Amino acid sequence: MTEFIDSFLYVSGLVVVLCPIVLLTVIGILPLLGLRLSERTITYLTQTSVSIGWCASVLIIAVMWSFDIFKYPLSIGNWVEIPQEHFHLETKFVFDRLSLPFLILTYTLCGVIGAFATRYLHRDEGYYRFFLFYAMFYLGMILSSLAGTIETLFLGWELVGLSSALLVAFFHTRKNPVRNGLRVWTVYRISDGAFLLAALAMHHLTGAGDFEILMGAEPWPEGVASCTSGQAFAVGLLLLVAAAGKSALVPFSGWLPRAMEGPTPSSAVFYGALSVHLGAFLLLRVSPLLDHSWQLRWVVISLGGVTAVFSAMTSRVQTDVKSGLAFASLTQVSIIVVEIGLGWRYLALCHIVGHVCMRTLQLLRAPSVLKDYHAMENAMGEHLRLPTGFSDHWISTRWRNWFYRLAMERGTLDTFLDVFVVGPFIAVFQWSDRNERRWNAFLAGEKTRVASTTDGKPKESEKT
Amino acid sequence: MHLERRNSHQDLLGQIHAAADLLPSQGPISAFAFLNPLQGLESLPFDEAMRQAKHIYGCEPYLDEVRYLAKVRSGRISLEDLRCVNARDLGPDASRLIAGLVSVERFRMQLLANSIHCGVDRELDWLLAETHALRRFRVDVPSPIKAAMLEETQNWLTKQCMTDQQGSALPREIQEVLGGHSKHSIEKWRDAEWEAACLELLWNVIKRGITAAYIPADVPEAIRHRDLLRTVSAVDCDQWVHEILVRYCAAYLDQGFAHWTLPDRDQGFFRAFCSYYQHPGILSKSWCRNLRGELKRIVASGMTSLDSIEESLCMLGIAPYEAHDFILSTLLALRGFSGMIWQTEIRPDRVYVGSPPGTLVDYLAVRLILDRLALSYCALETLQYDGPLSELRPYLSSLTSGAPTVTAEQQAYTVFQVAQLSNWSPQRLAALTLDQWSELSTELTRFSSLERRRIYHSAYERQLHNRVLDAIGQRARQPMLRPENPRFQIVCCIDAREESFRRHLEELDDDIETFGIAGFFGIPMYYKGAADAHFASLAPIVVTPKHWVAEEVVYSFEDADRNRARARRIIGSTSRSLHVGTRGSLVGAILSTLFGPLVTVPLLSRVLFPRLAGALNRSARQFVAPPAVTRLHVERASEVAPADSDEGLGFTIGEMVELAGRALRDIGLVKNFAKLVLFMGHGSSCLNNPHESAYHCGACSGSPGGPNARALAAMLNDPRVRRQLNDQGISIPESTFFLGGLHNTATEEITFYDLELLPSSQIAGLRWARKKLTEVAERNAHERCRRFESAPLTLSAHEALLHVQGRTEDLAQTRPEYGNSTNALCFVGRRSRIRGLFLDRRSFLMSYDPTLDDGKATNLSRILNAVIPVCEGINTLYSFSAMDASGWGSGTKLPHNVTSLLGVMDGAASDLRTGIPWQGVDIHEPLRLLFVIESHPQQLMAILEANPVLSRICRNQWSHLAILDPASAAIYQFIDGQFVPYDLGKNELAKATSSADWYQGRRDHLPFARIEPS
Repeated sequence: MTEFIDSFLYVSGLVVVLCPIVLLTVIGILPLLGLRLSERTITYLTQTSVSIGWCASVLIIAVMWSFDIFKYPLSIGNWVEIPQEHFHLETKFVFDRLSLPFLILTYTLCGVIGAFATRYLHRDEGYYRFFLFYAMFYLGMILSSLAGTIETLFLGWELVGLSSALLVAFFHTRKNPVRNGLRVWTVYRISDGAFLLAALAMHHLTGAGDFEILMGAEPWPEGVASCTSGQAFAVGLLLLVAAAGKSALVPFSGWLPRAMEGPTPSSAVFYGALSVHLGAFLLLRVSPLLDHSWQLRWVVISLGGVTAVFSAMTSRVQTDVKSGLAFASLTQVSIIVVEIGLGWRYLALCHIVGHVCMRTLQLLRAPSVLKDYHAMENAMGEHLRLPTGFSDHWISTRWRNWFYRLAMERGTLDTFLDVFVVGPFIAVFQWSDRNERRWNAFLAGEKTRVASTTDGKPKESEKT
Repeated sequence: MHLERRNSHQDLLGQIHAAADLLPSQGPISAFAFLNPLQGLESLPFDEAMRQAKHIYGCEPYLDEVRYLAKVRSGRISLEDLRCVNARDLGPDASRLIAGLVSVERFRMQLLANSIHCGVDRELDWLLAETHALRRFRVDVPSPIKAAMLEETQNWLTKQCMTDQQGSALPREIQEVLGGHSKHSIEKWRDAEWEAACLELLWNVIKRGITAAYIPADVPEAIRHRDLLRTVSAVDCDQWVHEILVRYCAAYLDQGFAHWTLPDRDQGFFRAFCSYYQHPGILSKSWCRNLRGELKRIVASGMTSLDSIEESLCMLGIAPYEAHDFILSTLLALRGFSGMIWQTEIRPDRVYVGSPPGTLVDYLAVRLILDRLALSYCALETLQYDGPLSELRPYLSSLTSGAPTVTAEQQAYTVFQVAQLSNWSPQRLAALTLDQWSELSTELTRFSSLERRRIYHSAYERQLHNRVLDAIGQRARQPMLRPENPRFQIVCCIDAREESFRRHLEELDDDIETFGIAGFFGIPMYYKGAADAHFASLAPIVVTPKHWVAEEVVYSFEDADRNRARARRIIGSTSRSLHVGTRGSLVGAILSTLFGPLVTVPLLSRVLFPRLAGALNRSARQFVAPPAVTRLHVERASEVAPADSDEGLGFTIGEMVELAGRALRDIGLVKNFAKLVLFMGHGSSCLNNPHESAYHCGACSGSPGGPNARALAAMLNDPRVRRQLNDQGISIPESTFFLGGLHNTATEEITFYDLELLPSSQIAGLRWARKKLTEVAERNAHERCRRFESAPLTLSAHEALLHVQGRTEDLAQTRPEYGNSTNALCFVGRRSRIRGLFLDRRSFLMSYDPTLDDGKATNLSRILNAVIPVCEGINTLYSFSAMDASGWGSGTKLPHNVTSLLGVMDGAASDLRTGIPWQGVDIHEPLRLLFVIESHPQQLMAILEANPVLSRICRNQWSHLAILDPASAAIYQFIDGQFVPYDLGKNELAKATSSADWYQGRRDHLPFARIEPS
C-alpha cells in the first residue's frame, strides 16, 4: 500500500512540476522555429497545462491529507557530486504543509489570470509575448514553492524575477515602463546577490543546499536548525535582504508602485499577489533559523514593522487605484513578515493565502473603481465625504503636513537608494575607470590621457 | 509703472487663455464628452489644421503611408479615386512639366500609386548595402520598360566606351560603374551584370544630380529649451518635472480617492504648492534641491502666480512675440493634466471638487519654476553650462544642427525608384541641367509625406462618399416606403448603433415605422433616479440644462422604499468600510486572514463563469432596489422657478407643450399617429471599464437617455398638453399612447417605464410590439457579433444574444461593444426615402420631413444646430483616436490606471490620457463624417450663412456635406463652398433578401445594399 502511495505521489509530483516546464518549452521554442501560434492555441495550451497541474496538486493534497503524510520529498537526482569536498548539487522538491498551500494557490491564480488575460489581451500585438512571460513566471512560482534545496529555489526565484521585470516593461514602446522595468530588475539583482551569498554560506556550513540538512528533517514547521546562533544570524540576514528585495520591504519599497506598468492581470498576479509574497515565503521556509537567533527575529520584526507603518501611511495619500493597492498590499506583506518574526507561522500562512486571493480580485477589478464609488455614493445617498486624514488633535498641522509630504514622496526611499547606494557605486566605477585608463596609458608608455569623466554622467543624472 | 504691469498681466492672461482653448477638452471620464479633439483649430480648413496639429501636438494627422498603401493594394483606395483627387488638388498646375521629364500630375501619381520606400534613418544604408536594390529592378517594373531601359543603357555605355578612347574622358558615373574592369570587358557582360550596371549607373546619376540641387526644407526650431536640450544631451528634463507634477496635480484634482487630502488645497494650486515644498528635512532629488529656497524667495517677495510666470519667462529669455507659442507648448507638455485643470476651472458643475478661477495660471507658474530648475541643473550637469538661463537657447541652438526631415540621399532614392517605373534612362537623366534637378528636388520637397497622406486621405474618403451617395441616390429613385397604418411607431436615438436596430424592425414587419431623434429627445434636464445620490446632466455637452427632474417612488410603496433605502445604505456603508478596511493595516490583516479565502468564490465565478455570476448578482440586487413602481416628477407649478429642490422639479405645462411639440415637429411625427408610440432612449452596461460612459448616449453627456424618453412620453400622455398641441395643429388621437423605454446597446435588453399606466386597450398592441422587439434583439446581436473576432461567425441569432450578454458581465472584456465605431455618415431626412437600405451600422439617422417645414427651413436649422456639432464631435473623436491611437486616443486599455476618480493614466504614472482607447476604435475607418440632408441648396446655404458654428464645420471641411432633393433623386455635393450636382454611379445597387443574408459570414466593412424581402 505504502509503495503504491509512494509511486502515486511520485508520478503526481512529477506531473505538477512538468506541466509548467512543458508549457514554457512549447511556447518558448515554437516561435524560434518560425511558428506563430494563434491566440486560440496559446489559450488551449495554457489552460490544459494549468488544469492538469491543478488536478494533480489537488490529488496530492487529498492523498497526503488522508494518509497523514506531512512531508514528501521528490528528488530528481544529484547533478553534481564531489564526495571529497562533501559537495553535491541536488534538485529536490518538497511537498509539505508550507509548499502545498502555495502550490495550490499558484495553480489556482495562474489559472484565473490565464483565463482573464485570454480575453483581456485579445487582439493585442503583445499577446504571444505576454503568455511567454506568463509561462516563465508560472514555472518560476511552481519551482520556488516546491523547492527543497536552495539552488532549486534560486532557479525559480530567478525565473519569477526575470519574467516580472520583462512584464513591467511589457509596453516597451513607451519610456516609463522600460525605465521602471529596469529599476525593478536592478533591485532584484541586489536581492539575488544576497540570496546567492546565502546559498554559498549554506553550502559552506553544511556542504549542501538542502533545506533539510540545515533546518532539520522534521516536516515544516517543526524543523530545528542545526547551526549556531551566529551562523543562523549571518545566513538569515542575507536571506532577509533577499526577501526584502522581493517583497519590497524598506528600503526597497520604491519599486512596487512602479511595477504597475504592465497589463492589469500581470500587475494583479505579480505585484498584488504571488511574487510580492515570495519574500515572506522564503522567510517561512527558513523559519527554523529564526528560532535560533533572537537577534535575527528582532531584525525581521522591526523591518516588517517599519515597512508596515511606512506603507500604511503612504497608501493613504495615493490618488491612483493601482498605487493605492500596491501600498495596501505592501502593508499586509509587512504585517505578515512581523508575524513570521513573532513565530506565528500558521497565522502568517493563513494571512498570505487570504491576502493573495483578496488582493488579486481587487487588482483585477481596479478599473471598476469609478463604478464602485458611484454605486457606494448612490447607496449612501451622498458624496463620500473626503476623509480628513490624521486628526488635528494629536498632531500639529505642521507635522501633519510634513508627514503628508513624506508620504507623497514615498518616504524618499528611491532618492535615498540613488544617493546612498547607486551614487557610491557609480563613483567607484568611475574612479576605477579613470585609474584603468591611467594604468593602460602608463603601461603602453603613452602620456597620461585625460580620462573622459562625462561618460557615466548622463546615466547617473537619468537615474536620480 | 503700475498700469504697465497690469497691462502686461492682461496680455499674459489673454495668451494663457488662448492657449487653454487648444488643450484637450475632455472633462471627467465618468461623463464622457464627445468633442472634436482639434476644436481649437476648427476655424482653420481641415487640411491646414492637420498640418498645424502635427506641429502643435506632435501627433500624427492622417494614417501613416504604409497603411494607406495597404488600402491601395486591397482596393479600398482605388487608383481612379487617387487620380481624381490628385487632379482636383493640382488644378491648372497639373500639366506642368518637371525637368522636361514628366507632368506634375503623373509624377505625383507615380509616388502615390506605387509603394516607394523612402528609407528612414539608417534604413536606406541597409537597403543599399544589403538588398538587391542596386542590382535588380523593382519587381513591379513592367518588363517592356525594363527591356527598353536596359537596351538604351547598353547602347549608350558601349558607344561611350568605344568612341572615346581616352578613359579619363568618360563621365565619372560611368567610370564608377566600370570600377576596376577594363572598358572592353563590357562586351562579355551577361544580362545580370548589365542590369546591375544599368541600375548602378542610374543611382549614381541621380544621386549626383539631386545632391547638387538639394535644398533642405526648413525645419521649425523647437521653442522649448527642453526640446533643444534633449537633442543635445539626450536627457529629457520633462521626465523629472513630470514626476513631481503628475503626483501633485493628481493630488490637487483628487475627487476623494486618497484618504488624506492635499494640505492647504483651499489656498489654490500655487500657494498650496509653495507650502507643500516648505518642509525641511526631506531628501529631494538632486535637480530640485534649490526648489525650497526658490519657493521661499517667491513667497517672501509676495509674488502672485502671474508675477512668477512673468519672471520665469524673463529668466528663460522668452521674447514677448513668442510668448504665446511658448506658453502653449509648455502647457501641452502635460496636456492631459493641464486640460483637466482647465476643465475643472471652467466647468466646476461637472465635478465634485472644482478648481477656482486662475488655477491654470497657477499651474503654469509652478510648471515654469520647475522647468527652470530642471533646465539649469541639466545644462550644468551634462554640458557644464553655467551661464544665465536666458542665454541657454541660443547656446543650445549653436550646438544642434537642425537635421532635415528628408535627406538628399533619401530624395535621390525616391527618384531612383520613380525613374525605374517611368523609364527614365541614365542617359536621359545624365543630360539634365542643374535647374532641372532642382525642379525635381523641389517637387519632392513640396510633395512631402504629409501632402501625400492628405491626398490618400481624400481618396480614401472619396470612395466611401461615392458609395454612400450612389446608394442613397439609387434608393431615392425608388418609391418611398411608409406604412399607411403603422401597428406601432418607435423613435430611437440618432446613434449609429440604432441603424441596424431600426432596419431589423422594419424588415420584420412592414407596418412598423421608425424615427430618429437626438437621444435627449429634445428635453435637456438634470436627472436623479430613485436610487441615485445626485443629479446628472442629460443633455448634449454644449447645453447647460435649466430644469431638474427626479424619479420618485409612488406613495403606496413609500414604506417599502424607505426600508430598502435603509438596506442599501447599510450595504453601502459596509462596502465602504470594507473598501477602506482591506486597504488599511490592522483591519486589513484581520479581514484578509479571515475572509480572504472566501474571495476566491467571486474571483473564480466572475472570471470563469461571467454570465452566471452576473445573473446571481443582479437577482441579489433586486432585493434592495427601489420598488418597481415609480413616477417621474415632471410637472412644476408655473409660479415656481426651476430648482433642484422638491418644488422646483419639473416643467410647467407651457414648457412641456413647447418642448414636446418641438420634438414631434422636428422628426415630422405630427399626423398619422399609431396607437402605440415608443420612445427608446439608449444606454449600455459593462464591467471593469473606466470608459463605460463613452458607450452611453453621446447626446446625454455620456449617461443613459432612458429618462428623457420617459419624460417626453409622460408629457405627451398628459391631456392638457395634448389639448394645447391640438390648438397648434398637432392632433394626437385619444387612442394613441406614448411609452418611454431604454435600449441597452450592449445586452440588447429593452426596458419600458410606467407600464402600470398602460390602458388595457393597449395591452395587446404592446404584447405584439414586445414580441417583435425580442426578435429584433437577437437579430441585432447577431449582426453586431460579426464584428467581434472572438465571436464565431457560425453563431445562431440566439447564441449571438447570449454572447453579447456574456461580454457585458465579463470582468476581462475590453470590448463590451463597439459603440459608434465605424460611423461614416449622417442622414437627415425622411426615413421613407431610404428605408430598406443596408447602411452597415455606419450611419447616424435623424428624421426630418422637409415637406412639413416652412420656406426658411426653421425646423431644419434647429435640428442641424444640434445634430451637426454633436455628430461631428463623435466622428472626429473616433477618427482621430483611430489615426494615432496613442497620440489623439488614449492608447491601449491594458495598463490604464484610474486617477483621482477623474481620468486614466498609463501604468504607474503618466499624463492623463484623453480620447478613446485603441480597443474602441480598432475597427474604425478614420473618415470625416458625410452629412446627407434632405433639403434644397438655397435653404442650406441660408442656414450655413446664419449659423457660424455650422458654417465653420462645413466650410472648413471638418465634415462633408451633401443634399438630397426632397422631390427627386438629385444629389448635390458641397464642394468649395458651393453645391455641385453629383452624378450617380452607373453600378446597380446590390440586393439582398435580408440583412442577415447580406452580412452573413463576413467581418469587414460591407458595401451598402438594398434589402428586399422576396
